[in-house]
Amino acid sequence: MLGQDGGGETHAVSLRWRDGREESLSVGPDETVVDAAGAAGVGLPYGCLYGACGTCTGKLLSGDVEHAAEPRALKPRHRDVGYVLLCLAEPRSACRIEVGARVQADLVPNPWK
Amino acid sequence: MSDAETPDSDTHSHADHADHEHGVSGPGYTTPAAMRTESGREQTAFVMGLRVGMDVDGPDFVGVVDVDPDSPTYAELIDTVEMPNKGDELHHFGWNACSSSCHAEGMARDHLIVPGQRSSRIHILDASDPRELSIEKVIEPEEVFEHDLSAPHTVHCVPGGKIVISMLGNSDGELPGGFLQLDQEDFSIDGHWETDLGEMEMNYDYWYQPRHNVMISSEWAAPKTYYPGFDLDDVEAGKYGDSIHIWNWETREHEATLTFGEEGLIPLEVRMSHNPEETQGYVGAALSSNVIRFFEEEGGWDWEVVIDLDSRDHPDWDMPVPPLITDLLVSLDDQYLFFANWLHGDVRMYDVSDSANPRLVDRVWAGGNFGDRQEVAGHEIHGAPQMLQLSRDGKRLYWTTSLFSSWDNQFYPEIGEHGSLMLKADVYPDEGRMELDEEFVVDFGDAPGGPARAHEIRWPGGDCTSDVWQ
Repeated sequence: MLGQDGGGETHAVSLRWRDGREESLSVGPDETVVDAAGAAGVGLPYGCLYGACGTCTGKLLSGDVEHAAEPRALKPRHRDVGYVLLCLAEPRSACRIEVGARVQADLVPNPWK
Repeated sequence: MSDAETPDSDTHSHADHADHEHGVSGPGYTTPAAMRTESGREQTAFVMGLRVGMDVDGPDFVGVVDVDPDSPTYAELIDTVEMPNKGDELHHFGWNACSSSCHAEGMARDHLIVPGQRSSRIHILDASDPRELSIEKVIEPEEVFEHDLSAPHTVHCVPGGKIVISMLGNSDGELPGGFLQLDQEDFSIDGHWETDLGEMEMNYDYWYQPRHNVMISSEWAAPKTYYPGFDLDDVEAGKYGDSIHIWNWETREHEATLTFGEEGLIPLEVRMSHNPEETQGYVGAALSSNVIRFFEEEGGWDWEVVIDLDSRDHPDWDMPVPPLITDLLVSLDDQYLFFANWLHGDVRMYDVSDSANPRLVDRVWAGGNFGDRQEVAGHEIHGAPQMLQLSRDGKRLYWTTSLFSSWDNQFYPEIGEHGSLMLKADVYPDEGRMELDEEFVVDFGDAPGGPARAHEIRWPGGDCTSDVWQ
């Protein structure tokens, strides 16, 4: 379907938690995954909501998203392997995304271990 | 009338100090000694409870813990006031008024200023009855971003009817941050406190000594750097702080930078002597794991490392692990310094009556990566000693075990699943020792609505980590 502003489309997004739970969302044009999850009553972790803090980090397993602003919390090495910030991520296709608080902890390991 | 005689309310009322030397009544105590000896034992504690970075789908809360041993609900979380939004990361908080405004007629210490570190949202709570907290006003993030600031940290009330909050970032979560000023009457935003940032590129905690016209601020990093977790690459790239800043308190101008370099990486909490005549204090450099003393001498400020802790080899880790001094405080009589080693797992007590020569007198191990004791009263300790709060009489040291959601998830991931604890040691200042209280444990894993992290602690009636004397 055509969006009302910008001509974007609504996309099906499948969310997967590490404990096996799954949820499906329909994310509208120019809508972020966090906003769509909130509207659907699906709880996702988040913090700053402008891309600085990384609390909402997810891992894109398939599909395409675009960040609505610079995802400052992610380093190039994170972006290269598919980490995305769901407070800024707008789907551009059907997506499967790994979510939950433990995904963020992947970004930076314990440096002494 | 002392607070000890009013068990239903440990808020400090105007009537308590009608005999102030200047004939006006205000919210605080005229001297640190008055607060230490006249304020009575703490009966309730306000403790930050967080759900950020956990799979618990709920907001953060301000918890009320009963710390009155004669109460049937002693050592229990008796109330939680949930924030209206998720994702705040409540961290540090403070009072609308403290002893620095104790000569201000009509002021009362009756509101808590509760910022969200990640959200940049600032909540104002009515705390006139410490057992019936309520949210009075919320300053939304957009209002803060309008001043090109984010990531609120330390809250102090300041003389002149204002509240100043150190802010770690600009509206994009990048450097340099600054200081946000609120009005004490209606909690509206005035704008920036500082007139000149000078060389200040990073911000964190601050303390002021009005009698000497000085404010001292410290450095963590840009929000976008420390928010996602601790990366040694960022340290090597110079993205973490190593300096403190000297400010002219009256003109609000940056005057000097004291740069510590390798000896003072990540200087966090700043604690000056409570005696308003003193011109010295301490800052804990978390990563270097040094306590640095700063002091005024012949009109200028200087510094020296007075405590230097060693890293330790851990059998399962590749590199020697620094203690990571994350919080420190000074007793109201300025005799003892306490600090927490969050990666090692001990809390230490130093005699600083000779302020340039701290003497280790005792320590307690609880949790952490090196402690023998990993359990208190049947509760497994998740994390290690972290945010400290000392009773006003200096006889009870309380602490929580969570640092910051993403750093917890990196170093003590079990906190994210099971929540963290509030613990206590009994302190014997006359004997110079302390002992873990084996009976006292508040398990935030059992918080209503699911496990939570426990962070900063404050007392109704004032704290040795927030009151400043004029």
